[in-house]
Amino acid sequence: MTRRAVVPLTLLLLLLPTAGRSQNPAAPSRPAPDPAAQSAIFSSKVEAVRVDVLVTDNNQTVRGLGPADFDILDNGVPQQVDLVSFDEIPLNVILALDMSDSVAGDRLNQLRTAGGAILGALHKSDQAALVTFSEVVRREAPLSTNVESVRAALNQVDASGATALVDGTFAGIMVGESDAGRALLIVFSDGVDTSSWLNGDTVLDAAKRSDVVAYAVAVKSALKPEFLRDLTSFTAGRLFEVDKTANLAAIFLGVLDEFRQRYLVSYTPRGVARDGWHRLEVRVKNRRAAVKARPGYLAGS
Amino acid sequence: MWRLGLVSCLVTVAAFGSAADARCQIRAPGSGMRLPIEPVAEMRIARLEHWLGSVDSHNPGYEDRALLDVAEWTADDLRSLWIDVDVLAQLMRKPKSGAASVRPEGQRLSSTVNYSSEQRKRLVLLACAAAGILDTDVQCYGATRNGGIDEPLSRLAAHAASARRSGERHYVLRRGALLHTDLAILDRDVVATPSTPTVLRSIAPQAFTMDVSDGRQVDFRQSGVHWEIARMLLDNVAPREEQKPEPGLDPMVRDWYRATAAWMQLRGSHDTHHLDHARELLRNDPDILFLSGTQHETLADATIQAAMRSAVVPNGVSFNMGSERDELRQADGFFKRALEIKPDAVETRLRQGRVQGELGRHAEAASSLEQATHAATSSPMAYYADLFLGAEREALGRFDLARTSYESAAALYPRAQSPLIALSQLARRTGDRAGALRSMEQLFALPRVRDEHDDPWWMYYLYQARGADALIDAVRKPFLLKEAQ
Repeated sequence: MTRRAVVPLTLLLLLLPTAGRSQNPAAPSRPAPDPAAQSAIFSSKVEAVRVDVLVTDNNQTVRGLGPADFDILDNGVPQQVDLVSFDEIPLNVILALDMSDSVAGDRLNQLRTAGGAILGALHKSDQAALVTFSEVVRREAPLSTNVESVRAALNQVDASGATALVDGTFAGIMVGESDAGRALLIVFSDGVDTSSWLNGDTVLDAAKRSDVVAYAVAVKSALKPEFLRDLTSFTAGRLFEVDKTANLAAIFLGVLDEFRQRYLVSYTPRGVARDGWHRLEVRVKNRRAAVKARPGYLAGS
Repeated sequence: MWRLGLVSCLVTVAAFGSAADARCQIRAPGSGMRLPIEPVAEMRIARLEHWLGSVDSHNPGYEDRALLDVAEWTADDLRSLWIDVDVLAQLMRKPKSGAASVRPEGQRLSSTVNYSSEQRKRLVLLACAAAGILDTDVQCYGATRNGGIDEPLSRLAAHAASARRSGERHYVLRRGALLHTDLAILDRDVVATPSTPTVLRSIAPQAFTMDVSDGRQVDFRQSGVHWEIARMLLDNVAPREEQKPEPGLDPMVRDWYRATAAWMQLRGSHDTHHLDHARELLRNDPDILFLSGTQHETLADATIQAAMRSAVVPNGVSFNMGSERDELRQADGFFKRALEIKPDAVETRLRQGRVQGELGRHAEAASSLEQATHAATSSPMAYYADLFLGAEREALGRFDLARTSYESAAALYPRAQSPLIALSQLARRTGDRAGALRSMEQLFALPRVRDEHDDPWWMYYLYQARGADALIDAVRKPFLLKEAQ
């Protein structure tokens, strides 16, 4: 996972588990981010890049790695890893759920159960948000440590209308970016996009510029979920294609579990052009391990 | 094995509050070959007589007994009716011609129908009554010797004769077309017949409907050939007595095609053959060219393309539809032709601009849309022009101008989602994360309950047909029965 234009100070705050975050789950969520304040942060010339990295050996997560254990190549240029964090940073979990006609009925109940399961598995310092999309994109619940408010919103949603999957995904990314925390976006859809204004490439472009890691669950059909496949690939998430949605809760919980097993690696790019596509290679030194990280990031306009 | 020649996809893309629905009708024209010897069942002539009674008594636009009677007929009943009405229409022009052959739409060869001698005589009698010339035309003298006519038929003969005296020579053709227009609009399921006679398999048209919801096929069924019968009837309209039919010169036929093509698009039913045939008759009609363009633009939409790619249809069925790019190219061609005839048509210019953009010709698109922006007067059109122009300016890297266009669209429709998400994305793309979040917050603050009027983008694929119901009513009006007028 990458981020451009983040000042080191912000990054340090991110790496502290409870910095700036209420520990009381019943407490109201933090105020909505002040765009002006965000602007002050992101207008900095200092850039740091964050990469979410999953390291496994024989399907077992490898723990205990530090900055010296990682090799990062940015456009082929070796970088100095500044910080590595594991299982310390609170999460921002954004559920972006398809609420089109086809979801009505049992599937909606299964989605509620799955959403409820993941909300129940969050730590006190984690935040959650709910975005839904038919042709209408709604933020049903903003990012908040008060997961009960998100659960209540989830229990009130109805399913009808067309599918603005691309618009809804963009909204999910933006909710993820509205807070400096580590964002996990889970997109569920059982159909193809039929009513978005934005096109898929535009949103994939936004995803390449974002730190948000996107996982997606798509219901199998004759059509390949190409947009979700690309989205999860560019953000180093994972796409689940399921025949049925009866077991959605287990998938959602599995996603959360996998995401918690990731390292957050950061570095300040040196020796590379500022703008354009940056190809990333992440390796673990001196051991045979499978490394999953985003293939690159897009910087500049 | 038959090969399908037509798909019509009915799209209510982004119809608010309901699934995006599409209905795709697939038509299987006959082979155009010589018919095998197969006698025509007596039932068919009786059905034709019944049909004539329904044509005479149906009040256009009303769900009356006459309409509901015919709505009960099976798919094969309607297919055989198509054959017999075609023969009848030819006999109405020349009762003594002995015509007994039909040529399916799109076929070069005619096929002979094997009526018995008695059936032919009865057909001549029916044709004379339907043409209103039973007692006046020398070719009809003696026709009643071949059997009497009962009350419904004599009433029809009187009405047709009266219409003829007042200058309307196509009473049955026009009223028949309106009856089947209403039947198509009623859209009742037809009963499919398990075993179709050879004669029908050979020459009669066949129609299927594929229902699509939210980009997915939800049903595939046989449907009645009502539009086919209506078109065939109007194909027999001739400008003057004794002349070859030239329906393209007839104002009612022109209005009927404009109205029905628009109505189909308003209901999301895209029968490509309908407009193909309309263009054969009305080659340079800007409205028909415009609707042809909007139809192909709609067929390029993701809803239809996705449904077509994943459709499960019987062996031998194929869709008369191209890829997204092919459909956009066709749309572009029709808009171009329409603008050559009517250069000041703002809506056509707007649509052309959007299609050019979808084809990646952004500079051309921006130019077309700038023209549309300056000329658009109504709110939805101005909104579309701003929104699409924003996208083209963005594609050209003119980000400040793009922002201005999106902001104009947002100002026209403050509850619209699309310009806000476009502004957010544009800001995000240009590194203005604060601006991106601000626009997204505006979007999230929109009222929870919204309808299709809040964001015209959701109705884009229907907007071109907004006047369809009024157009249909206008076509029906001269044919309303007196008590309904």
